[in-house]
Formats: sequence, structure tokens, C-alpha cells
Amino acid sequence: MKWQIIFSGLRARPVRTGVTVLAVSLQVALILVIVGLTTGTVNEIGKRIAGVGADIMFQPSGADVLLAANSATLKESYAPKIAEKEGIQSIAPVLVKISTSPLVNLFGIDPPSFDQVSGGFEYQAGRVFSAPNEIVIDDIFAKDKKLAVGDSIELLKNELKVSGIVTNGKGARVFMDLKALQEINSSPGMVSLFFIKLKDSHDINGAIAKLKLDFPGYEIRNLPEYTELMNGASIPGFDAFNAVVVFVALCIGILVIFLSMYTTIMERTREIGILRSLGASKTFIVTLIMKESILLCVIGVVLGTIGSELIVNGAKSVYPTLAFLISYKWMMNAAISALVSGVIGSLHPALKAASQDPVEAFAYE
Amino acid sequence: MLLETVDLKKTYRTGKVDVEALRGVNIRIRAGELVAIMGPSGCGKSTLMHLLGAMVRATSGQVLVDGKDIARMNDSERTAVRRTKIGFVFQKLNLLPTLTARANIEIARTIQGSEGDSPTDSYLAEILKLLKIDEKLDRKPSELSGGEQQRFAIARAVSHRPAIVLADEPTGALDSKNSEAVLQMFRELNRKFQQTILLVTHNPELAGYADRLIEMRDGLVVHDSGSVASAAVGV
Repeated sequence: MKWQIIFSGLRARPVRTGVTVLAVSLQVALILVIVGLTTGTVNEIGKRIAGVGADIMFQPSGADVLLAANSATLKESYAPKIAEKEGIQSIAPVLVKISTSPLVNLFGIDPPSFDQVSGGFEYQAGRVFSAPNEIVIDDIFAKDKKLAVGDSIELLKNELKVSGIVTNGKGARVFMDLKALQEINSSPGMVSLFFIKLKDSHDINGAIAKLKLDFPGYEIRNLPEYTELMNGASIPGFDAFNAVVVFVALCIGILVIFLSMYTTIMERTREIGILRSLGASKTFIVTLIMKESILLCVIGVVLGTIGSELIVNGAKSVYPTLAFLISYKWMMNAAISALVSGVIGSLHPALKAASQDPVEAFAYE
Repeated sequence: MLLETVDLKKTYRTGKVDVEALRGVNIRIRAGELVAIMGPSGCGKSTLMHLLGAMVRATSGQVLVDGKDIARMNDSERTAVRRTKIGFVFQKLNLLPTLTARANIEIARTIQGSEGDSPTDSYLAEILKLLKIDEKLDRKPSELSGGEQQRFAIARAVSHRPAIVLADEPTGALDSKNSEAVLQMFRELNRKFQQTILLVTHNPELAGYADRLIEMRDGLVVHDSGSVASAAVGV
């Protein structure tokens, strides 16, 4: 019976109901889209790096798990010394560089060694670069920037020409000659990391342990496990950023629900007086108001989740390089955030409604 | 004795001024009576109604319902009394506007704990038929005339068979034809089901429908046409 009052009340005030549900959906969508973007981006980078196909990533001492955060402080000449160690099949030096306009990561590679480690690119068009001003790009970057073989694009303040387009997933979106990128970066002979392929990939951790004995202090990581490293625990500020997003969304939700429920109990003072005169307890009134609030939030959660999927799909079609990851965990977090907003936001209005004097409520016009 | 007040007083504070709404009211109501309480505006009849209906606490004195004093009960105790013993009919806007007439009765029965029976059970069906609203259950208040709304309010008030029905100016918002019909229905409810009813009105013509007339002035009962004490001494 309580639900009948709640549903009829919501139907009788369609604008209030619609605006409240919309606000809660925005709260849910805000969490899912923003956290989905950060998580998705990090996850996509992890998958792309792991997708190189190497077994080990060898970085200088103190290097961050985020490749873009590091500079080129590893001597390229180290490569032969590592390569001569037992169990190493091949080694590929890579210089990682970030272009800020447009925002994209570049790998400076030596194609023969990179192919040996990664198994080679899958070309969709064109060929490998053969001049310092040529680049190979992946299909997603090509689609995003509407580039074809032969087109030029300015990266790192250099006019670079597309020589080939490859299938995405091999570390970076743009590849160019290692020496050329070292020249642009003013760091001849220096690289960011080495990708290492083992003769036997079954005991990567054993090989890492041996390398650590020979090269103490260096960051030597298991590449197939790299995706797992790309999470909140290993990226500074990542979890804090997500927590701030949830907190802001929660505050918005609480304020919206508070205003909505406060307005509705002021409108329905006389109705509450009728219920109190019929013998409705304070608990009855409080649960009535809170159930209405929670129902609005549940509808908002459903619409917000659907809405966030639509936003993500729309954003991906416009910006193909964007990566989103809307996980069940974050769907639950967003739903809990909305429901907590519903409970906290409606608590004061519900208590106010329940404490109304029935005589005064009846006198209210 | 179903309902009794003993030296009942109620003082309201308005700003820094104390207003004595009731200054010592003594009335005794027997089960099955239809009583009209009359008096000019401000004489304290609505305050008396609120005290009898466990809506407010008394300043002093007693309100005995079935021998139990409700005058100084706390809010939850008074709520329980309203739920189990009292049925209210107010002057206007008695029904929840967003619900159908049927749902208005059902919500009352839910609150009062008699939800198991639908409004079409035999007692309620008889009430609805008596009030001539049995075919309008699925209409919303906005689709009913003022008289029909008031009749549904009466049906809701008696749906849980309360000890007493309190009606505060129940015809105040109705035209003369509807007023007469509503009062006639109160009388039929009283006759047929021995429902105890207290009507508050300032219209002397309506008093003719009651068995007994209590007149109030300045917070006191100034005349009681059929008090238990009067009846005992043959007044």
C-alpha cells in the first residue's frame, strides 16, 4: 500500500520526478564515465604494452610503471651485455616519447630487433619507415586523425610522413626510427627500456631473478603481468582521483535528493497531516519518504547506467583513441553512491515530515 | 462511559501571550450517541475535538477513552490511540489527492492494521452502499464532487470500526443539499451501526440531526442538552 502512495505521488509530480531521476542518473553517469575513462585508459595502455609480445621489460633504476613518466636514461649500449646472458633470445631497445599535441605516445624502435621480440607488425597498409621523417601508425590513430599512407602529421614539432598503418596493440600508437627519435629527443645513444624475449617463456620470473643478480637496481618486470601492474595501487593519485570523483558525485546526489524531498514534503504537508490523523506513526512517515527517495535513486541508477553506455559509445565513435572500462565493480560503486545519496539526502526531510504536528499540518493550506 | 473529560484545560502560547482555549471542560459521552458540539468561532470546540482525538496534549485535566487517560500521553501513544480508537472527518481536503477513493480507504486500513480485508468486505461494502458511493471507488478525489469526497472521508473514518468518529465542521465546505445528505448519513451510521459520533459545527440547523447538543462559549461548556448527569436527575 505504501508503494501505491509512492508511485501515485511520483506520477502526480512528473516534473519533480523527472528532474530528480535525471540528476541521479547524471550522478551515476559521472562516476561511470569518468572512472571508466581513467580506468579504461590505464587498462588499455597496460594491454598495449603487454601486447608487444616480449617476456621482460628492462628499465632503469627507479623507473615508473607508467612509461610516459620516465625519461631516456638507459644506455642503448647495454643491450648487447644483456643479450649475452643465458636464456635471452632477443632484445629490443625502445625510446618512449609523448607528444602532447596531439596527445599520443611514440616508440622509437629498431625494426629488426623489435620484430624479433614482438613477432612483427601486421600491416594494414604501406610499409615500415625507411627515412628519419617517416612513421608507422596504428589503425586507431589513423582513424582518429583520418590519416592514410602518404599523409603527413606534425608530431614533436616535426612534420612526419605516414609510411605504414599497422594493427593496434604493439605498445605505442606511433612508431619511428630509434635514431631519429633520439635525435629529436636530444638523447643520442639513450633509450627508455629494453623489451626482452626469452628462449623459454615458461620461467619468466626465474629469468628476472637472474637478471636482477647481474643488473642490481634496475627495474625488471614480467611483461605478461604488466596489465595487472596498471592499477590504482601502482599509479600515484589514481585511486585518490577516483575517490574525489565519487565524493563530488555523492555530494551532488545528496543535495539534489535533499532539495527534491524537502520540496515534496512542503507540498504534501496536508497529506502528511491526513496520514498522521489516521494514526500513521513517525516510522511509517519516515519510511514512506525514504522509500520514495530510494525508488527515485534506483530508477536513476538504471537510467544512469544505460546513459553512461550511450555516452561511452558516442565518445568512442567521435574519439576512437579513447578507452573506457566500465566494470561491474564500478557499476556497483555508482549504484551504492546513488543509494547512499538517497538515504542521506532524504533523512532530514523524512524526519521533518514525521515530526510535523498533525493539527498544524492540517491547518496548512 | 466511552468518552469523558475531567476539568480539561488547554492553553496555547502565541508569541508571549497565553491563550486559554479550554478552561475546564467536563463532558461524558456514552457509546452509540450522536452528539453535536456547537459554538461561535474561537469558543474552543476545535481544540476540544483535537484533544478528544488524541491530536494534542492537554495542559491539565483528563480525557478518558474507555477509561484510559489519553490527555498526557506522548506522541507515539497518542498515535496508537488515533489508529485504533478514533476516526476523523475534517472540513475539507480529507482525501489524499493522488490516490483513488479505494486507495484512500485501503491506506487507512493499512495504517490501522486491517489490511487483510479489502474495502469490499461485508461491513465496508454496507457502509459504501449506505453512503451511496460504492460505484465510485476507482475515482480520484478530483473526479468526485465535494459531497462525494466527504462521504468517502466518512467511509474511511469508520472503516476500522473506531470507538468514536470525530467530525470537525464536516459540512463546512458543502452546499446545503450536500450538507443535508452528509448529515443524514452520519445519522444512519449512528442508527444502523451504533457508531458513536461527535460533530462540531457552528450551524444551529445541523444540530437537529444530533441526539444531543453541547454548546460551548469562551472555552467552557455552557449547555448540554443531554448530559449523563442531567439525565440522571431528570433535567
